[in-house]
Amino acid sequence: MQNLLIEKTNSTPYINFNAVSGVLQIKGESFPENAAKFYNPVMEWLREYLDCTSEQTTLDFEIVYFNSSTSKIFMTIFDVLDEEVKNGKKIVVNWRCDGENETAIECGEEFEEDLRYLPFNIILF
Amino acid sequence: MDDSLYALYQELKKKKILFCYSGPISQTSLEGVGNTLRRNLEYEEAGNKATLSVFSIFVEQVHNILNYSAEKLGYGEDIDEGLRFGIIVIGREENGDYYVYCGNRIYNTDIPVLISKIEEVRRLNKDELKSLYKERRKMAPETGRKGAGLGLIEMARKSGKPLEYSFVTINEEFSFFSIKVVVRR
Repeated sequence: MQNLLIEKTNSTPYINFNAVSGVLQIKGESFPENAAKFYNPVMEWLREYLDCTSEQTTLDFEIVYFNSSTSKIFMTIFDVLDEEVKNGKKIVVNWRCDGENETAIECGEEFEEDLRYLPFNIILF
Repeated sequence: MDDSLYALYQELKKKKILFCYSGPISQTSLEGVGNTLRRNLEYEEAGNKATLSVFSIFVEQVHNILNYSAEKLGYGEDIDEGLRFGIIVIGREENGDYYVYCGNRIYNTDIPVLISKIEEVRRLNKDELKSLYKERRKMAPETGRKGAGLGLIEMARKSGKPLEYSFVTINEEFSFFSIKVVVRR
């Protein structure tokens, strides 16, 4: 399947989902006017990818700021992955943030609290 | 030529208003102004957390105007293409706290629902707001809405003080709604 590459804009992150390496990267800031619309192709790609892969998958999130409607989309992504891990898939999330960005660290912790099976690492740099 | 603009400028300075915008607003203006606002707060050494809180409340407020203002132009088939009108003020309280203060027209028929949503959030403490936020985030999205219904809770969490709001009746159809969110410095 094709890789998914979306360049960053002033309100949306850089997205690079590589189906071959299994590394899915989201980096930047996210506050689009219509988050559901922006992330729709991302969700579609992810569902298709999960249907056909059995390899180790790593999601790298490096998000400085995201708005509340993006937060809902991220939770949906993590819920999908949580279910996949429950069913035996090898997936890990790395939530990368600046050690001085208290808000981003707390946001990562709040996602982690709501997941049961998905390994969720908060990595400070 | 009169000097009313200078009077307005002085008035804004006196009231410690660092930013004021009234008129048509779009996602593009949010991005530009948001960036400038963050740089301004950095110069003022507001601190990372306060800067991000003010920015975050600003984004949620502007998105509320874009989603709900009843004053609009040019809306056709694509709902993302139009302009919505509102007013946004960012300033400092006497004690140095920041505030983000926004207003827009709304339909009178939408007032009861809006009041109940704000009052629900106003009643909750920090931990209760966190639980409600997480509960709503887990729920399936409401159809026909652009927002996730999390904006008010997000603002209350970033503020740490109860949201303040008011309605002024314009006529039989419309009222002017305003909401003020304070960020402790």
